[in-house]
Amino acid sequence: MRSVGIESMNIFAGSASLDVKKLAEHRQLDTARFDNLLMKEKTVTLPYEDPITFGVNAARPLIDALSPQERDRIEMVITSTESAFDFGKSMSTYIHYHLGLNRNCRLFELKNACYSGVAGLQMAINFILSQTSPGAKALVVATDISRFIVEEGGNALTEDWSFAEPSSGAGAVAMLVSEQSYVFQVDVGANGYYGYEVMDTCRPAPDSEAGDADLSLLAYLDCSENAFLEYQKRVDGVDYATSFSYLAFHTPFGGMVKGAHRNLMRKVVKASPEQIEEDFERRVVPGLAYCQRVGNIMGATAMLSLASTIDNGNFESPKRIGVFSYGSGCCSEFFSGVVGLEGQNRIRSMMIDDQLKVRYELSMEEYDELLKGSSALKFGTRNLRLDTGFVPQARNIHAKETLFLKEIKEFHREYEWVS
Amino acid sequence: MSKDEIITIIAEHVRAVVPTLEAHQFSHDDKLKELGANSVDRSEILMMTMESLSLKISLVDLASARNIGELAGILREKLQSS
Repeated sequence: MRSVGIESMNIFAGSASLDVKKLAEHRQLDTARFDNLLMKEKTVTLPYEDPITFGVNAARPLIDALSPQERDRIEMVITSTESAFDFGKSMSTYIHYHLGLNRNCRLFELKNACYSGVAGLQMAINFILSQTSPGAKALVVATDISRFIVEEGGNALTEDWSFAEPSSGAGAVAMLVSEQSYVFQVDVGANGYYGYEVMDTCRPAPDSEAGDADLSLLAYLDCSENAFLEYQKRVDGVDYATSFSYLAFHTPFGGMVKGAHRNLMRKVVKASPEQIEEDFERRVVPGLAYCQRVGNIMGATAMLSLASTIDNGNFESPKRIGVFSYGSGCCSEFFSGVVGLEGQNRIRSMMIDDQLKVRYELSMEEYDELLKGSSALKFGTRNLRLDTGFVPQARNIHAKETLFLKEIKEFHREYEWVS
Repeated sequence: MSKDEIITIIAEHVRAVVPTLEAHQFSHDDKLKELGANSVDRSEILMMTMESLSLKISLVDLASARNIGELAGILREKLQSS
């Protein structure tokens, strides 16, 4: 069987963060049982950041590491997102341009809420496996920002939605997919997918999200079980407790993952509460680390959890990781792959932990000001010059060239590299 | 199984998940959210209850219940048709 997988991978989680426990207190949410939601920080989009800046900043180190010949073999750029600012033009066109890629390339975008990143990855894997263009590479950029303002009127979709604000982050994961599976070697054909129509969370209007927290959580739990059961049907001799050294989950917030893991361990493994707790700490927590600091980045979250697992796990000998993605609406998938020390070294060279640490921590005053001002960058904005004066210290916080949104001219977005 | 018996089972799991409700007298109108159970707690209570009842249904089917009485009603219906 031909090898296929992730050749290189990086994340970009913005330039500013917020302590979500402080936010919950600031919003006067009932924080009595807040700790079991397992949330810490989230990335906040600054006025001069958007899904393009996140995506390009995530992908740039992967592209810079390639020779010109290798770079020219990128024949597909997929953006995976629910945060696009145009119904027709794909964000992959902007990303392709700012990375200076070969024009003999397929450019398009995929959507299915938080499942989009894994949908993109699987399409890229199938492109490589098809061998219609031997030696080609595909770049998948999952990138999303939050729009958590609740739709007013009606009551079906607003129940307990207040916890969506602390959990909603922003950021991107870029993955180069090819036959050189240095970071994550895919188990070909080992996929369990499961989806059906359900109205749990959605973006029914241009600048807002709506959702039913209970329905969404129940659909997630339902899918995490059924996607795994389908995987088990297709792969001989699979045991949830022993086949995977680590489990990377789509992480809207840590508490949800803990519930899903507990459910499967109870039903499939018949494990005791003590065994479940030990297993959670050992196999799941490495993948939560970055998700708890970035928040839910929708289409990119499952792969952020994979990056977190690879960075924080032990890979002295090759290990198999099970990955679960869930996207509202809904579609889900459980798949797996193998990671070794080289993969970990490549992820660690991206210095993700440092990148998260240097983000500028916003005060509640700055954050609230941002929410009021963010109405300036509405869907459909035709002309606007972005305010670079808002927390200007965030603009060179990464101490390297970073892409920011400069201006919107007749709907076209113009960007600048700042260092 | 009667609706009240199902409520007793639900109450047992609510107390296990939210220990501050140890002495609470549960009624049909009780809403889990108002009792201090967050969305993770609520899903946990549902899963434990379904296990106690040996009921295998899609969790999504239970999302429409607005209080413990309605939840017990849906569970009872599912038990009868399973």
